[in-house]
Amino acid sequence: MSHFSPAACVDYFFNYFLMKGVLVTIGLTAAGVVGGLILGMGIALMRMSPNAVLSGVARFYVWFFRGTPLLIQLVVIYSGLPQLGIKFNVITCALVGLILNEAAYLAEIVRSGFMAVSPGQREAAWALSLPRSVTFRRITLPQAFRLMIPPLGNSINSLLKATSLASVISVEEIMRRSDMLMQEHFQILEVYAAATAYYLILTSVWDAVQRRLEKHFSRSTTAKARRAGAKAPTAQTGLEARA
Amino acid sequence: MAIDIDGEAAKPREVSAVRMEAVYKYYGEFTALNEIDLKVERGERIVVCGPSGSGKSTLIRCINHIEKHDQGLIYVNGTELDHQRKNIDAIRRDTGMVFQSFNLFPHMTTLDNCILAPMTVNGMTRAEAKDLAMHFLTKVRIPDQADKFPGQLSGGQQQRVAIARALCLRPKIMLFDEPTSALDPEMVKEVLETMKKLAEEGMTMLCVTHEMGFAREVADRIVFMNEGKIVEQAAPEEFFNHPRTERARVFLDQIIH
Repeated sequence: MSHFSPAACVDYFFNYFLMKGVLVTIGLTAAGVVGGLILGMGIALMRMSPNAVLSGVARFYVWFFRGTPLLIQLVVIYSGLPQLGIKFNVITCALVGLILNEAAYLAEIVRSGFMAVSPGQREAAWALSLPRSVTFRRITLPQAFRLMIPPLGNSINSLLKATSLASVISVEEIMRRSDMLMQEHFQILEVYAAATAYYLILTSVWDAVQRRLEKHFSRSTTAKARRAGAKAPTAQTGLEARA
Repeated sequence: MAIDIDGEAAKPREVSAVRMEAVYKYYGEFTALNEIDLKVERGERIVVCGPSGSGKSTLIRCINHIEKHDQGLIYVNGTELDHQRKNIDAIRRDTGMVFQSFNLFPHMTTLDNCILAPMTVNGMTRAEAKDLAMHFLTKVRIPDQADKFPGQLSGGQQQRVAIARALCLRPKIMLFDEPTSALDPEMVKEVLETMKKLAEEGMTMLCVTHEMGFAREVADRIVFMNEGKIVEQAAPEEFFNHPRTERARVFLDQIIH
């Protein structure tokens, strides 16, 4: 067994084989987020529905997928389902597992976001006789989304790291390719240092994106802070004159 | 429809702005509205008062179907509020509502708050809706706050924007649900002045308020409620000086210091 070699860490970091694994990790995460959000939104809407069957199904879904390890879900989809004659390729298995799992978490985040929008907002929209679609798109959704960003960011950060579990079903993302390099060269620390660096870079980039999103969607409140200093609300009329 | 035999047949018979007949509303076991009969003529200004929990907010929230009444009949400008989407929408277009907590859309500018309904409900272009909104923002004396977000405005300014927003649908009736209760004392006046101005222009108004000075000055009629019932209805002078019921006397004693 050789000594620790910092130079080898750098070599592995720029290893083309590992870099391709990074792309797979990014792809799995992105697909997991998009698929999870779409499915999660549907489940959240079902859960909030007055229909007992719909909300019951949604509740069961969330209970089931949050109550079991992603690792088992992936293994069952990959190795277990073929026994029932259901067979996908590895990438599809990983995507199905990640999306199903992520959707359960995102459904709860979406639901909490909608529930946190003040009922007065909906009442104001009703009083203005706004159609339901407009109320949803222009009033509730944007406000709920703003409240969802912080927990959403957290969940996506977790998902990014959870994609490493797909290595177990032989998806060649960062973790799997690190294992393969390690088995070939036995430079354990060096290989995993490079992998760790990639995960840190990816989560940091995501943090930055999340901050930008938060800033963008809270612009009405930040605008307040920004402009309040420059121009406090001024009295324009006799009606407004205050002591 | 009755035809006027004096030859004014072209003019349809005056329809009441609001007519409620034996209206009931329950929250579980609790009777929030108990056999409400109320008639509001066009141009009338009504102040609804009463102790908290007496059903006054529920009463006006039933008029535009923010709350659904359980029994009885409600007509708004002759349209029956029968839980059908079409009629509910028609009634909501005819009524403007101002809430205690303003309920402006915080993620939109003042102007966007005002033009959303005219554009989506009345199909106006952005330019038309903007002209309309600026007209009403000028009327409530805050045209220069059009590009600000609600969070940048004072409570009084927000409530005046809320009034302008409601007026942008050109309602025939305005409903006010404790419009000044959430305001700092020094901002109450500017909102009441705006409401007075509306009243002077002949707007039909139903206001739930504890501002008895406003009630005295502006109201044609005071509706006093207690435990879900209308206990007393009278002109302000009569109500304040000679309340008929013991309950109203106690209430007036408590709120007039």
